Amino acid sequence: MAKAQLKNGPKSNPKVQHKEESESLKGTMASVMFLGFFIIVTWLGVYFLFVDRF
Amino acid sequence: MPSINSTIKVDSRDAKLSMAHFYVAFAALAIGGLMGLLQTLVRSGKFELPGGIGYYQVLTVHGVLLGLVLTTFFIMGFQHAAVSRTAGTHSDKARLTGWIGFWVMTLGTVMAAAMVLMNKATVLYTFYAPLQAHWIFYLGLTFVVVGSWIDGIAQIMTYAKWKKNNPGKPGPLLSFMAVINTVLWIICTIGVAAEVLFQLLPWSLGLIDRVDVLVSRTLFWYFGHPLVYFWLLPAYMAWYVVIPKVIGGKIFSDSLARLSFILFLLFSIPVGFHHQLTEPGIDPAWKFIQVILTFLVIIPSLMTAFAMFATFESAGRAKGAKGMFGWVKKLPWNDARFTVPFIGMAAFIPAGAGGIINASNQMDQVVHNTIWITGHFHLTLATSVVLTFFGISYWLIPHLTGRKLTKKMNKLALIQAWVWFIGMAFMSGSMHAEGLLGAPRRSAFSTYMGAKQAAEWIPYQIAQAVGGTILFIGIILILIIFINLAFFAPKGEEEFPVGEQAENAEATPMVLENWKLWIGISIVLILFAYTIPFIDMIQNAPIGSKGFKTW
Ligand code: HEM
Ligand SMILES: [Cu+2]
Repeated sequence: MAKAQLKNGPKSNPKVQHKEESESLKGTMASVMFLGFFIIVTWLGVYFLFVDRF
Repeated sequence: MPSINSTIKVDSRDAKLSMAHFYVAFAALAIGGLMGLLQTLVRSGKFELPGGIGYYQVLTVHGVLLGLVLTTFFIMGFQHAAVSRTAGTHSDKARLTGWIGFWVMTLGTVMAAAMVLMNKATVLYTFYAPLQAHWIFYLGLTFVVVGSWIDGIAQIMTYAKWKKNNPGKPGPLLSFMAVINTVLWIICTIGVAAEVLFQLLPWSLGLIDRVDVLVSRTLFWYFGHPLVYFWLLPAYMAWYVVIPKVIGGKIFSDSLARLSFILFLLFSIPVGFHHQLTEPGIDPAWKFIQVILTFLVIIPSLMTAFAMFATFESAGRAKGAKGMFGWVKKLPWNDARFTVPFIGMAAFIPAGAGGIINASNQMDQVVHNTIWITGHFHLTLATSVVLTFFGISYWLIPHLTGRKLTKKMNKLALIQAWVWFIGMAFMSGSMHAEGLLGAPRRSAFSTYMGAKQAAEWIPYQIAQAVGGTILFIGIILILIIFINLAFFAPKGEEEFPVGEQAENAEATPMVLENWKLWIGISIVLILFAYTIPFIDMIQNAPIGSKGFKTW
C-alpha cells in the first residue's frame, strides 16, 4: 500500500484520485444509510398499525 | 499468517472431538427438519398426523432438537476447533475435559429425547410451568447444560494456556470470541439451572407440590435472551474473522470486533423482561429499564453491519473496484464458503428490524404470541445463524476429516442456500404477514368455529406449507453434503481460513482483555436489572401452581 502510494502519488493527478477511490468507503456509507432507513420504515409500519388498532 | 503459537491445522485428536459434536448436531437437524415439514403441513389444514400423534409432541421435538440440541452441539464443536486452531492444540487434560463435556451433553440429550418420544414431556422447548414434564426430561436438560459448561471449561483452559505463554499480548481474536461466548453462556445458564434444580425438578419428583410460575418464567428468560446471542456470536465469529480471509480481504478492525463482542456480553443478559412485556406481576418501570438495555444491543449489531460492509468494500476496492458499488461484483459469489453465510447476513437485515419492533414495549402487543414471532426467529436463527453454520461446515468438516470440498459439492452447497432462501422467504414472509393479522403461534390447524378472522389466515398457512416443503428439500441437500464431507469426499487439505487485520488498523488496546472488568460490569448490570423485581416477585408471591399435563 504505502509503496504504491509513493510511486503513484507525485506522478499524476488521476492516479492520486485512483488511490483515494481504492480506500473510499462510500459504498459502506450508502449501505448503512439504507439499513437505517429500512429499520425506520418497518418500525413505523408496525407503529401505525399499533396506533390504528389500540 | 497465524502467530507463532497457533497451528495451521487443527490437531487430529481435537478434530475428532469437534466431529463428535457435529454428528449429533446434524442428526438433530435431520429429525428436527422433518418435524418442521410436518408442522407446516398440519397447519395448512390439508394433512393430519397419523396414529393419533399430537401436534405439540411434534413441535416439542422440533424446538428441542433444533433450538437446543443442534445449536449447542454445533457451537461447542466449532469453538473447540476455533480455539485449537488459533490458541494451540488442547492439552490432554483439556481434551479429556472436552470429551467428558460431550458425553454428559449426549447422555442428557438421550434422556430428554426419550421422554419426549414417550410423550411424557410434551412441554415445548421452553418447558414453561405449569406444564409439567417427567423428571427425567428436566434431569436430561440439566446434563446438557452441565455438559456444555465442562465443554466450555476445556476451551477456557486452552485459552488460559496461550495467555500464560504470551504475557501482555491480546489473545488470538477467534479464541477470544469463543471465550466471550462461553462466559456469556455460563453466566446465563445459571438462571435456567436454578429454575430446573430448585423448581421444576423437585416439583416433577413430587417433593414440592406447587411452583411459582412467574419466578420460573423470569429465570427462564434471564437465560432465554442471552441464549439467542449464544447462537449468534459463533456466526459473528465467522463473519468477522473467517469471511475476510475467504474473500481475500482483511479484518476491518480487531478492536471493533472485540468491543462489539464485549458489548454483547454486557447487554444481552439483563434484558429478559422484553420476553415478558405482557406478563402481569412485573413492575412496568423495570420492564422499561430492561427495554432500554435491550435497545443498547442495537449498538454492537450496527457496528457489526458496518464492519461487514467495510470489509467487503475494502476487499473489492483493493482488487480495483470502482464507483459506489463496484466492489459487490468483486465478491466471490461462486464460493459457497462466502455466499452461504452472506445470504445469512442479508437475512439479518429484516430479522434485526423485526427484533426492534418486538422489543418496542407497546408494539409488542401487535405481535406477541403471534406466528410473526416464529417468522422472526426463523430469520435470525433458522436462516442467519443456520446458513452461517452450514457455510462454516463446508470448510471445517473437510478440514477436520482430511478431505476436500469438491467443485460439485460447492455447487450443491450454493443451490442448498438458495433453496433455503426461497423456502424461507415463503415460510417466514407469510408467517410475518399472518402474525400481523393476529394468527397465534404454537397452534395446529383450526377454523376457530368458523370465525371470519381465522378464515383470512388460511392462505398464509398454505404459503407456509409451500415454504416448508422447499425448506425440507434444503434439509435433504445439506445432509447429502454433510455425509459427503464427513465420509466420502476425496482426501486432501481444506484450509481453516483465519483473517488478518488490515495493516493500517490501530493496535488492540489491552483493556479489551480485562476479563475482571467486563465480567464485573456484566454482573453489576444483571444485579441492577433483576434484584428489585425478584424481591418484588417473591414478597408478593401467590401460592403457586400444581403441575398440568395437557397432552
Ligand atoms: C425444514 C425447515 C423448517 C420448517 C419447515 C420449520 C417450521 C416451523 C414451524 C411451522 C414452526 C411453528 C409452529 C407453531 O408455532 O405452531 C416452527 C417452530 C420452531 N422452529 Fe422451525 N422450521 C424449520 C427449521 C428450523 C430450524 C433450522 C430451526 C433452528 C435451528 C428451527 C427452530 C424452531 C423453533 C425453536 C421453533 C419454536 C417451537 C415452539 O414454539 O415451541 N426451525 N418451525
Ligand atoms: Cu430476546
